[in-house]
Amino acid sequence: MEKRPHALLLKFPGTNCDAETSRALEEAGFSSEILPIACVDEKSLGSAQLIVLSGGFSYGDYVMAGRLAQLEIERRVGDALMKFRDGGGYLLGICNGFQILTKLGLLPEGSLINNTSGRFICRWVRLERRVDDNPFLSGLPDNFELPIAHAEGRFVAPDGAADKYMDEGLAALVYSEDVNGSTNRIAGLTDRSGRVLGLMPHPERFLWDSHHYDQDWRGDSDGKGSGYQMFKSIHNTISGEMAHEPG
Amino acid sequence: MEKISAEVIGKFESEGDANKLVYAPLSVPAKYRRTRIYMLEYEGDLGSAKDFVKRSLVDDYADDVFFTGEPAVEDFSFYIDYGMKPGALDLEKEAILSSHKGTEGFSIVALELVQRIYIFSDPSITSDRFVRDVCNPAIHVWSVTDSNGRKVA
Repeated sequence: MEKRPHALLLKFPGTNCDAETSRALEEAGFSSEILPIACVDEKSLGSAQLIVLSGGFSYGDYVMAGRLAQLEIERRVGDALMKFRDGGGYLLGICNGFQILTKLGLLPEGSLINNTSGRFICRWVRLERRVDDNPFLSGLPDNFELPIAHAEGRFVAPDGAADKYMDEGLAALVYSEDVNGSTNRIAGLTDRSGRVLGLMPHPERFLWDSHHYDQDWRGDSDGKGSGYQMFKSIHNTISGEMAHEPG
Repeated sequence: MEKISAEVIGKFESEGDANKLVYAPLSVPAKYRRTRIYMLEYEGDLGSAKDFVKRSLVDDYADDVFFTGEPAVEDFSFYIDYGMKPGALDLEKEAILSSHKGTEGFSIVALELVQRIYIFSDPSITSDRFVRDVCNPAIHVWSVTDSNGRKVA
């Protein structure tokens, strides 16, 4: 029997996109498990090839989005997520998960702060893929659409850093237009290994044609949306690696 | 027992239109700026307490923090401080206290969280409208301080 890659979704009080993200992962071929943070230890992380921090409002976004989740992860498992990545694992942070990964130092330096409008933004956006070989994005076209829903999505970084991220291929995704004041329109970041991706848009909300706001929109011949392609990309990468593992 | 007050202000945020704070348009232009204040009573080392504030409550890239007790902003008309009533369930405070477990060097005796709104306008604007539309008497306590540092409400 073919072994499916396993994805572990860490759930905090206030995480609310875990169920649909789990469904999206399974649709793409993963087996998945939602694990409350209270049950997470270093051993539990070892069962997965992909760890996902899904969207929502962990700890009510108290203090600032992602901060209390960061502290709780550090308190429970220390730098185990870094070790997981260094050991060959993949990490995906969506929206609040992106904010948490940034705070944990798993992505290039910077922070996601209040949108310049001071308002929560819920809409579809057009995105530009700026890297060719990222395992999460390789199956996507250069331009595609996804929905966003956030109040704290404006990426800021130390002086000059955002330009460097653009030049060095760490700014994996940018918005086609300025939607929230993000520096260089950055919508998603990857780390230098390419094994960690954080993005503000919600790929789990665009799996099929019918999710698109335009009911006449047609994606590929299977009727899949851009979000599905993202999950399928990382699934194919991990499946390929597993096929070459001994035993 | 020692006390520190930390006022945290977003580096990248600027004054916004104060109409965002109220339900009906204001008659004259006014701007506002939000900050948050953590008042910490603790036992132990001051440096450790400050480290806790910086590590847990301040964003390295996006925030500035002031421990002086003086307003972090100048040239305001007045400011409103509001927070949860004593005894009300304050989940944010509980989450912060929970995150402190295991931190060495000091212990927290009490923590008070205050949201501060600075208003910038001409004297014809009073605090009443803002207090009515921002504060909820069922759960909040509040005070208003004028530009001379006098508590006026």
